[in-house]
Amino acid sequence: MGGRDATMVLLDENGIRCDGRKIDEPRKIMIKAGGLKNADGSAYIEFGDNKILVGVYGPRDVHPKHMSNTDTGILRVRYHMEPFSVDERKRPAPSRREIEISKVIKEALEPAVMLEKFPRTAVDVFIEVLQADGGTRCAALTAASVALADAGIPMRDMVAAIASGKVADTIILDVNNEEDQAGQADMPIGYMPSLKKITLLQLDGVLTPEEYKECVDVGVKGCEVVYELQKKALKDKYFGNRSD
Amino acid sequence: MASVSVIDELKKAQILELLEQGKRIDGRALDEPREIKIEINAIPKANGSARVHLGDTDVLCGVKIQPDRPFPDVGDKGMFMCTAELLPLSHPTVETGPPRDDVIELARVVDRGIRESHMVDVSQLVIEKDKSVVGVFADVVAIDYDGNYFDACSYAATAALLTSKTPTWEMVDDQPTVVEGGEKQLPTSTIPVSVTMGKIGNHIVVDPNGDEWASMDCRVTITTDSDGHIVALQKGGSDGFTQDEINECGDLSIKVGAKIREQLKLAQQESQ
Amino acid sequence: MADRRKYVIPGDVVTSGPFRPEQNVMLEGNNIIATAVGISEIYEDSVKVIPLTGKYIPKIDDLVIGKVISHTSLSWELDVNSCYVGFLPAQDVFGRDFSTHVDELSSKLKTGDLVAARIANFDRTRDPLITISDRDLGKIDEGILVKISPSKVPRLIGKKGSMIQMIEMATNAAVTIGQNGWVVVSCDTAEGLSKAKKAIEMVNEKAHIANLTDQIKDMLEVKDES
Repeated sequence: MGGRDATMVLLDENGIRCDGRKIDEPRKIMIKAGGLKNADGSAYIEFGDNKILVGVYGPRDVHPKHMSNTDTGILRVRYHMEPFSVDERKRPAPSRREIEISKVIKEALEPAVMLEKFPRTAVDVFIEVLQADGGTRCAALTAASVALADAGIPMRDMVAAIASGKVADTIILDVNNEEDQAGQADMPIGYMPSLKKITLLQLDGVLTPEEYKECVDVGVKGCEVVYELQKKALKDKYFGNRSD
Repeated sequence: MASVSVIDELKKAQILELLEQGKRIDGRALDEPREIKIEINAIPKANGSARVHLGDTDVLCGVKIQPDRPFPDVGDKGMFMCTAELLPLSHPTVETGPPRDDVIELARVVDRGIRESHMVDVSQLVIEKDKSVVGVFADVVAIDYDGNYFDACSYAATAALLTSKTPTWEMVDDQPTVVEGGEKQLPTSTIPVSVTMGKIGNHIVVDPNGDEWASMDCRVTITTDSDGHIVALQKGGSDGFTQDEINECGDLSIKVGAKIREQLKLAQQESQ
Repeated sequence: MADRRKYVIPGDVVTSGPFRPEQNVMLEGNNIIATAVGISEIYEDSVKVIPLTGKYIPKIDDLVIGKVISHTSLSWELDVNSCYVGFLPAQDVFGRDFSTHVDELSSKLKTGDLVAARIANFDRTRDPLITISDRDLGKIDEGILVKISPSKVPRLIGKKGSMIQMIEMATNAAVTIGQNGWVVVSCDTAEGLSKAKKAIEMVNEKAHIANLTDQIKDMLEVKDES
């Protein structure tokens, strides 16, 4: 899926990145709550050129019954990319990458959802990546959080996500596809803004101990920006034009 | 569709009662399809794409065009494949995992409607005979359900193919390589249009919505091409049509199909 | 909006201090945090959030509309728009002398039938127990089913029933409102039925608008030109 392009300039002498952004500038983000007629909750996000749709069903009966838990509801997450979402057509069957990302997103949402109130049920989160451009797991987690709130699933907090990283020895916010391929580090981070807990964290690349701390800090601040857009999406749908 | 959830009996009775009076539950005429909304280029990074709303049924098709190896023994033809998948977010009864027989039927019917019309000429999709050909993949995903996936998926695939742009390739050092400035419209020869009709009691209704789909006894999907010829047909469901009914459906598919074809033509023109 | 009410989303701090957390809030340190999208209300010694979305959570004695989705030889299963499936035992309909050899469940209720029912019992360890054995309960023979969000049911009923009475009087329709958001409407005239349905759908879509009652009144007073 594209090799490392040694000729691409990832950061020029004015501190401008390959797509014109400054080092702490996220791509354009748009989040919409709701939109699907049949799902119990849904959300749609555009994060740069990423286009991701999330549908939530639940809490609902679990089949097969042996998978249900008598003490608490369970969370199931399926992250799936459409064949036409990436450069080279992807076969419809789930890849190992999709399975890993499904698990990582599930574990990022579990601290937020309160399913002890719904024993013997499941909450299903279906993530569909319609178009991918680097950072899909963060955009997906962000939208999933909004879809869960839209479905009325009780939650301790929202979970917002973005990837920080490093190019040309500089820590940047919101890694795009080219930066992911050719840069020096990519750190997706998912964060609960009220409880102040990091629930998704992965790293790909090489960081010194100081860069590591700075990368986490930049990511957390980026999540707080994303959180404001999640809030806006829910406000726009449920509270009309009224604020409080 | 076998995965339809239980319809309430009062609604079913109401649908039949209205049909006896020549009316439908959403106010349409019996031979009237719902409003079709087509959004071209919904996925800009794909070679072509279309999102179609047929009432509240919502589907999306993305077309990818890329070099591929030819099938053995068919070295002088490129590849065309059309798939359809129900996304689990589209309806509470859709399961993940290997597709059920009704979803496989849907995919094959949509593919057949387009393939049998010869809309995409696979003999024009050869880069080097026996070595490298062009593969055209139209993948349709269903996003929300309110009856009649067959037509919605068909319109999305057709609209996406009509507005697809393809690179041109040539062999360089035995590898298919993109020719600079060689992007062009994907050549297509006709506009296939499928029309699905359901039988409820003794009445034939065009484009059944979700409630009608759950109430119908059987259905037929008929695809016509730009010359008004019938190129593909599939009957489904557990009951049967009389010969007169099947003939009536054939006539309806041509009449209704012609109007929908105009809409697809418009979408094609707007994209150019 | 009054001081004591606020729009909240999960994670928002509603207030802090010595309050008892009630529905849809939780205590975190000294803060009361919202756990749902909704409207928070602070009382003298407690705090809660009224949710604006979510499935119906069964409460004992609630009137609900249910749909039969299957049955065994001993009971029916009902969809009541909740996370759990409702359980209606055969004895509730056939009486204590019920016998599987003599009594056939589908003779009374079959798949697809709608019933007006009451939640007889519910706790989270088992599915809600349903009864239809009161005078005002049982199989629904006529009308249409309109589905709204359970959170909008109080708005549809209105203060002391004012909203639903206005709709019924203007259209001559009879409306049975299930606490689970399912509503059955029946009417002698097709026009009345259609208007009542439209009014109910308007409440569902515009519940947060201040002059909703006036808007619905205006819509109901329009005479059809047909």
